[in-house]
Amino acid sequence: MKPITVTLLVNGEPHTITTEPNKTLLYALRDDLGLYGAKDACGGEGECGACTVLLDGEPVNSCLVLVGQADGCRVETIEGLAANGRLHPLQRAFVETGAVQCGFCTPGAILAAKALLDRVPGPTDDQIREALSGNLCRCTGYTRMIAAVRRAAEEMSHVR
Amino acid sequence: MQEVDFYRANTLDDLHRLLVETGGRVIAGGTDALVQMQRGAFPAAVVVDASRIADLRFIREDGDRIEIGALTTYADLLASPLVRRVAPALIAAAETVGAPQTRARGTLGGNIANASPAGDMLPPLLALDASVTLSSARGIRTLPLSEVLRGPRQTCLEPGEIIASIAFSRPPEPCGAAFIKLSNRRGMSIAVVSVAAVLALDSAWRIAEGRIALGAVAPTAVRSPAAEDALAGQVSGADTFRRAARAALDDIAPISDVRATAAYRRQAAERLVIRALNAAWERAGGRGGA
Repeated sequence: MKPITVTLLVNGEPHTITTEPNKTLLYALRDDLGLYGAKDACGGEGECGACTVLLDGEPVNSCLVLVGQADGCRVETIEGLAANGRLHPLQRAFVETGAVQCGFCTPGAILAAKALLDRVPGPTDDQIREALSGNLCRCTGYTRMIAAVRRAAEEMSHVR
Repeated sequence: MQEVDFYRANTLDDLHRLLVETGGRVIAGGTDALVQMQRGAFPAAVVVDASRIADLRFIREDGDRIEIGALTTYADLLASPLVRRVAPALIAAAETVGAPQTRARGTLGGNIANASPAGDMLPPLLALDASVTLSSARGIRTLPLSEVLRGPRQTCLEPGEIIASIAFSRPPEPCGAAFIKLSNRRGMSIAVVSVAAVLALDSAWRIAEGRIALGAVAPTAVRSPAAEDALAGQVSGADTFRRAARAALDDIAPISDVRATAAYRRQAAERLVIRALNAAWERAGGRGGA
């Protein structure tokens, strides 16, 4: 395999890496950039959503994107959400609502929720459920997650 | 992960050239292709990425003709007021695809090229009588979608050929369409049976033309000529819809698999055809549907 060189704009910082051409965006983030927030829980088949990141603002399963496909794109991961030492309202709401159990699905769920709130600031519960429908939580903590997203949406609307 | 080399095409000409030079296979959103790679089943040693070719991502209206670029994502379709207005069955189908993560990357052209018997967009496109424009370094050709789909995961595409766009005519008013997908859950699910119906009515509210297509009940998604014959020229209503649904069973050959038995699929297909026809009839503005 011929190595490829790509530039990713990860959480606002450009990173140029030379890596294997069959590498997924998920493993480029984890192995090449040391960002372990995005998780591999289903073996790279796009079933679980634990690897969700935002690619040019869209929620994607980073296990189903070859790193070359993301060349030049903006990537947002859980590591980029806190600003100036303050957690993002979604992160805080997940903690305060008890929406985190084992935590493995949490980064992906929060990014899927962020994609929703970026587009729909005051979502209905059904819209929240739909937005999280690709994120499996095997602790079955969905009720708290939905409450957390609702709470974050309310808090963010006060800031606006 | 399967070993592959990677090339990115930035234009359609680039794509044609790279496919010829490398003997590679095109990928778009990757939502099916990367799963194949993960399983070592991707049928080439070279990947040519088409996902960034802007010229293949569009939704256009020209009179009654709607043309959709192959790289249009499910999310693009869902965000299009035009598609919502002229092809509600396509919207209904796109809503059932995977989850937001899948819909942000997966493409209409990819759904056709993947040629799954259960491909969600295939029944509504078949019921819209869609045609597919294929493009290669040698030129372009346009074929009915029904001729592109050859078998499970098999299309008529030749080496070096790609899907460029999909087009269909808006049926004349009054007209209604519906798509119903039966699956084991709502999110991240593959169809057990899916049905799309398009009903065009005449000025006396008879059925001028009815089109029925089914997914996950044959080697490819299929139209049902028998059901369509049972609809043509008839008065809409419970009896007509029941006859059409029974007739549809002559055009399907479901198998038993992990999701359902063949017998269950036959029963479900018959009921879903009736439901889809009722929904299409209501949307056409018809009254007294069965």
